[in-house]
Amino acid sequence: MNKKILASMLLLFFTLFTTNSFASANAAPAEEVKHEYHEKSLGQLLESFYKTTGIYAFTNPSDDVMTSEAHAEDARVMTTFEQTWGRLIMIAICLFLFYLAIAKGFEPLLLMPIAFGGILANIPLAGIGGETGMLGIIYNMGIANGFFPLLIFMGVGAMTDFTPLLANPKAAILGGAAQFGIFGSLVGAVVLGFDLQSASAISIIGGADGPTSIFIANRLAPELLGAIAVAAYSYMALVPVIQPPIMKALTSEAERKIKMPKLRKVHKLENLTLPIVILLLAILFLPESTPLIGAFCLGNFFKQSGVVERLSDTMQNSLINIVTIFLGLGVGSKLAADKFLVLETLGIMVIGLIAFAAGTAAGVIMAKIMNKFSSDENKINPLIGAAGVSAVPMAARVVSKVGQEYDKSNVLLMHAMGPNVAGVIGSAVAAGVLLSIF
Amino acid sequence: METNLVAEAIKFMVLGMGIVFLFLIVMVYALKLQAKIIGKYFPQGETPAPTKPRTTEASKEKTAKIAAIVAAVQHHKNLKG
Repeated sequence: MNKKILASMLLLFFTLFTTNSFASANAAPAEEVKHEYHEKSLGQLLESFYKTTGIYAFTNPSDDVMTSEAHAEDARVMTTFEQTWGRLIMIAICLFLFYLAIAKGFEPLLLMPIAFGGILANIPLAGIGGETGMLGIIYNMGIANGFFPLLIFMGVGAMTDFTPLLANPKAAILGGAAQFGIFGSLVGAVVLGFDLQSASAISIIGGADGPTSIFIANRLAPELLGAIAVAAYSYMALVPVIQPPIMKALTSEAERKIKMPKLRKVHKLENLTLPIVILLLAILFLPESTPLIGAFCLGNFFKQSGVVERLSDTMQNSLINIVTIFLGLGVGSKLAADKFLVLETLGIMVIGLIAFAAGTAAGVIMAKIMNKFSSDENKINPLIGAAGVSAVPMAARVVSKVGQEYDKSNVLLMHAMGPNVAGVIGSAVAAGVLLSIF
Repeated sequence: METNLVAEAIKFMVLGMGIVFLFLIVMVYALKLQAKIIGKYFPQGETPAPTKPRTTEASKEKTAKIAAIVAAVQHHKNLKG
């Protein structure tokens, strides 16, 4: 029995070997074309090695280097500047992002992978950002099709508690007002000379919502994605720097000291039905935004149901962590010199900042108006309007901090969380509106 | 040409802000309505919440028991085989 098997195996090897040798005999001419090895002196070896180093690539730009694109057919020839100083400047910018993330603590979870991806994308010869490179694969896997932002939204939904919004639904209006940052800067971007699609993509930065910005940018202006994502995340990180001066400029000291009534207790069932209600409204009014709102509601519903704690836990932790790594690296691939060092980036940075400031201001002004019309026992502290830009929960924390600067006993955090989560919904709605136009 | 684009952008703004507000206002009323309904039919106190942790705890216990049984059977088999 065993001998039989042995014999048949031998036969198999023999046939394989012979066919292989035939095949190699046939392929011989092709091998000649491939590369024939010549004897080389040590000097020649060193020289050819030198030509594959980064030093050589940075100092001797050649005109047959193509840009790394997620789809090889989109590639164009890289300019000399992009190959030399461009790459070095981008690596320096990425190092600066490291500094912001590590030393200053600005959104390290995102800036770290983005900046590292940026460095990888600017390495000459390796082509990491190309279709078959690591970053290119990641980009094609989840950013080019808008998948990762949705997963992030799912996690954000699973992490968000809607209780403050349910306790005081009126606060949602403030989340709407802050979306003026998006539409106001849309007009600004068009005035600056961007076309309508790019302007829409850029203006979403004003929603202070990273995943939404990436989702929209990818649909409307993929070539601007890197700059938009970096602008969105860096301004979100700068919330504690950008917002307080605007909040203080628009409010009087008496207004900042307003104490708000204690929030009512919220029934568990309200929390459970809220994602379903929001989803139904989205289905009825703007199905275009349901990828974002749907993912968000899914995460929140799982959390609130209380019966799938393991799934909800995965969304809040492992899944969102994995996606954050990939999202960051994929966005980082757009920090390649040929994509980032263009004039548009500067415009995007400026418009993003204006959008952000306008959103904050609109929220505060709206809160002032609402305060004028509310009864004495239902006063609204205008500061909470600033939390209407999403940036959960950073914006709400900033509001609370500014409030306590003027009155230590005035805790606004929960009151600010209402407009804050409404801002997330509001910017998803705004995104849906923009998508529905194009 | 450019003024045309700006006018277009302003139209976007009117539409966008209008829809965002409309959506949120409808949402506010929907939430108020649901609070009213839930408050009426499921008064606070007999929330289903306390039962939830119990079931999960019970299921955790169950899985722990099952694991113990499986381990015991495995051990027994190993001894035999």
